[in-house]
Order: sequence, then C-alpha cells, then structure tokens
Amino acid sequence: MEENEKKISKVGIVSCSGEDLPEGSISRLATLDVLHHKKPFDTTTICLPLYVAGGEGDRMFAKNHPTITVDGCEKLCAKKATEKYSGKVTHSINVRDFIKSSDDLKNKSSLNEDDKRITAEVADAISIKVDEILKENNK
Amino acid sequence: MTSKKVVVIPCSGIGKPIGTVSRETANEVIRLRPDVAETVCLAALTSGDEEAIKKVKNNHVITLDGCAKHCAEKNTQAYGKEPDKSYMILKFAAQNPDKKPEGIVDIGKGGKELVKTISEKIISDIDEIKQNEKNRV
Repeated sequence: MEENEKKISKVGIVSCSGEDLPEGSISRLATLDVLHHKKPFDTTTICLPLYVAGGEGDRMFAKNHPTITVDGCEKLCAKKATEKYSGKVTHSINVRDFIKSSDDLKNKSSLNEDDKRITAEVADAISIKVDEILKENNK
Repeated sequence: MTSKKVVVIPCSGIGKPIGTVSRETANEVIRLRPDVAETVCLAALTSGDEEAIKKVKNNHVITLDGCAKHCAEKNTQAYGKEPDKSYMILKFAAQNPDKKPEGIVDIGKGGKELVKTISEKIISDIDEIKQNEKNRV
C-alpha cells in the first residue's frame, strides 16, 4: 500500500428498517447486532432517511465507506436510496433470501423463534462480508 | 367517498433508543386503531417508491421523529405532503423524565411507558382528524 493511500478502517452498514413488515425489524436488529456485538470496531451506520433530511456530509457516507445495505424485501429501498443519494454500494443483502417457506413471520414488534434464527443468519452474513471487504480493501 | 387512513410514519432512527421509541409508538398506535392507522416504510419513501408516495399523498399523515434532523417530516414534505401533525419524540422524553428508554434493541420498562404516553396523544390526534373529516362531510 502506498503511503498516501488511505486505509479503510470501517465498513458502513445501512439498514432498510422497513416499518411496514416483519423483515424490516429483522434487517434492523441484524444490523444492530453487527454494529454493537459482532464488529463494533469495524462498522458504522447512518439513518437511511438522513440522505434526504441531512446535509452534504451525510450524503458522502457511501463515498467515505465501503457500504453494505440490508433490505427487508424486493423493493431494496436501502440499496436504491444509498445509490441514489450517496454512492454505489459494495454489497447488498436481502433478508428474504434467508427466509424458508416454512418460516412464520407475523409480528413487526417482537421476534418469534423463526425471526430470531433469521436475524442471527443475516448478522452472520453481514459479518462475513465486513471481513471480506476490509481484507480486500487493505491488501 | 373512501375514508382516508392516518399514516403514522416513525423515523426508526437506528443510532439511538429514541428512534426505537418512535417505531414502537407507531406499532402501538396501529395495534390500538387497526381500522384507521397504518404505516409506510420511511426507507421506501426515501428511495422514491411509488406505492409509498401514493399512500402518503392520499391519506392523513402523522410523523414521529426521534431527533432534530426531522427525517420523517422532511421525507414526507419532499413529496409535497405537509403532515397533519409532526412530533419530536425527544420532547415527550424531556417532558417525562421518569420514563427513560434504556437501549436501542430493548427500550425497557421506562421506554415502554413512554411509548404508551405518546401513543395516547397520537390516538387522540387520530380521533380528532377523523372527527373533523366527518364534520366536513
């Protein structure tokens, strides 16, 4: 690495938070698990609606950090909003890719056993990607 | 004429317990007024999702923001819709210092009591909005 080349120290994670569906709660909680427990020193986040409500500094988020978006459905709002306002995302995760046909997701407020298992799987997938991105960017 | 719904839009701010309070309040209001209240994914509105924009434009809106950035209110206004009511959860928290949310994932007993207090206010607003609607017919 050249001396003037900036080392990437943190990966940005942007969650959809989807208020209108249980998968939004899963995306939010999986993201928080990574931020607080699994990779607290390697990750950072931003409230997604801040891209509109915030200033230029907030919109620089994806330009300043390699970014993983975590979405709850096929609308991929976190990915689309990040790319519209902030910059290209490095990796995109959709919670629905982790859901089995037998899973029963109903509640937007509290997690059942299926929700908890999916949340853990999504958090693991984010963590693995964080490691890969940091390794790739800091060769 | 189809009766309008009241769309309660929380900020869901991911960085602070107060964001979770806004989200839990929206869920509680919808639980208490399932025939009238509903929500929309704020991220969908931010990303310009047509279904979300239509829902916001065609119904009453109450925004619940966690901090002074007013993300829920500003994202609503960005599509030309002025919310019927806009609240900042931090103000309710300041007025109720005994009801303190604990964490982002689990807001604890104090946070749940704060959600109940704010929900009562929002329910009263919804009833007022619907009453005004009836009076105009």
